[in-house]
Amino acid sequence: MSSNSSDEIDRDNITDRSIGASDLDRDFRREVMAHEDAEQLNHCFACGSCTAGCPVHEVFPEFSPKKFAMMVKLGMRAEVLSSPYIWYCTACHSCEQHCPQNVQFFQILNVLKNMAVAEGYAPYPWILQTRNIARTGMVFRSDPSWEEKRRALSLPVLKLDSDRAGLIIKLSGLDKIVAKRGHR
Amino acid sequence: MQYEIASRWVCKQLGIELVDIEDFNCCGFNQIDLDRDAALLLAAVNLAHSEARGLDILTLCTACAGELTAAARELETAEKRDKINAKLSTINLKYNGSINVKHISRILYEDIGVDVIKDKVVADLSNIRAAPHYGCHYLKPESIFDGFDDPDNPKTLHQLISLTGAYPVEYETINLCCGGKTFPISKDISFSLIKKKLDNLQTKEIDFMVLQCPTCYLMYSEMQKEIYRKYGTKYELGVILYPQLLGMALGGDPETDLALAVPPNNSIFFES
Repeated sequence: MSSNSSDEIDRDNITDRSIGASDLDRDFRREVMAHEDAEQLNHCFACGSCTAGCPVHEVFPEFSPKKFAMMVKLGMRAEVLSSPYIWYCTACHSCEQHCPQNVQFFQILNVLKNMAVAEGYAPYPWILQTRNIARTGMVFRSDPSWEEKRRALSLPVLKLDSDRAGLIIKLSGLDKIVAKRGHR
Repeated sequence: MQYEIASRWVCKQLGIELVDIEDFNCCGFNQIDLDRDAALLLAAVNLAHSEARGLDILTLCTACAGELTAAARELETAEKRDKINAKLSTINLKYNGSINVKHISRILYEDIGVDVIKDKVVADLSNIRAAPHYGCHYLKPESIFDGFDDPDNPKTLHQLISLTGAYPVEYETINLCCGGKTFPISKDISFSLIKKKLDNLQTKEIDFMVLQCPTCYLMYSEMQKEIYRKYGTKYELGVILYPQLLGMALGGDPETDLALAVPPNNSIFFES
């Protein structure tokens, strides 16, 4: 993934090299399932209903919830956590809506994203948004023109002072994530 | 801002008193990707501030509705609440688990009621054909929304459109996501999703789409220009937010009450 929002899909990551048993991390599945949100991963029998109903898969076939579930089960730790595709999910929750086994794939994917972040793979737009929250409590930048426009329309300018906003982000622990360098 | 202006006007007409809480922060919708417990804390701060004032939460954004509702559900468990309150206590907040979170359309549908609103309609909008777009987090995950609507075959926005006199048009891609979440990560994917819906809607006789989420709105309105610039595909599809449609039916002034002439401010939202 490029460091900024990109216009093009990152196809560099698509690989046709085969994976050998020595590349696998056999503890990965358990490591993921230790998270409360991913406990039901074993209920997945790879029917593919999630992928069939996934709107991102439809426009970008390499993105596949079922494939990610299988990769986790196989122990493809490095491939999964470094994959830019885990960030392509639109969070529409269709995968969960369609799963006959009530596997909450969106939640499992979120566990994978959190693990990826811990390894330094946080996407830069999310870092910027979080820095904005640390300044004003708002996800977007509060520039003077925005405030002027709101006042002109008789709308309240609701934002936190930076001390308060920063304190909340610090309390959440997100300050450590956004302070890290080297995010892709 | 047009969504906010029209919503404030509509709420006033229907006797919904809105109280702005200056202590609110972002719901944590994208921060959940970074650290789900951190995002839960951001949501819990908002729930605690509301509870301290004895107020439930009305959201205009479907993602805020989804995120805050999920947090409220999770914090129904005493053990989870204790964990969050241990952190909240350092900023003198506490959450006791009493807050209801609802999207404005759900409040109109459930708490005010279709028939009550219909009685207040004064304008004839029966010549309007409108395509509803619900927004994913208005409906899903289904388990957190008490079954107030069916994510596979949603009806509430259809009924809210019908009560204005306008005709809700059915179309094949009605449940397709706007792709807003992915936009800062991959514009390509978001544009592909937008195009699919707009292509579908171009084959229908409609006057405009009706939306109920600021992100969906930006994706389907402003991004039409971006798509034209990038792909040369020209859509000239009208897009409107539900309170603007309802406001017209209730006799609101399109410019002053419903902000139909205020241009959307997408640049600050999609900064990256």
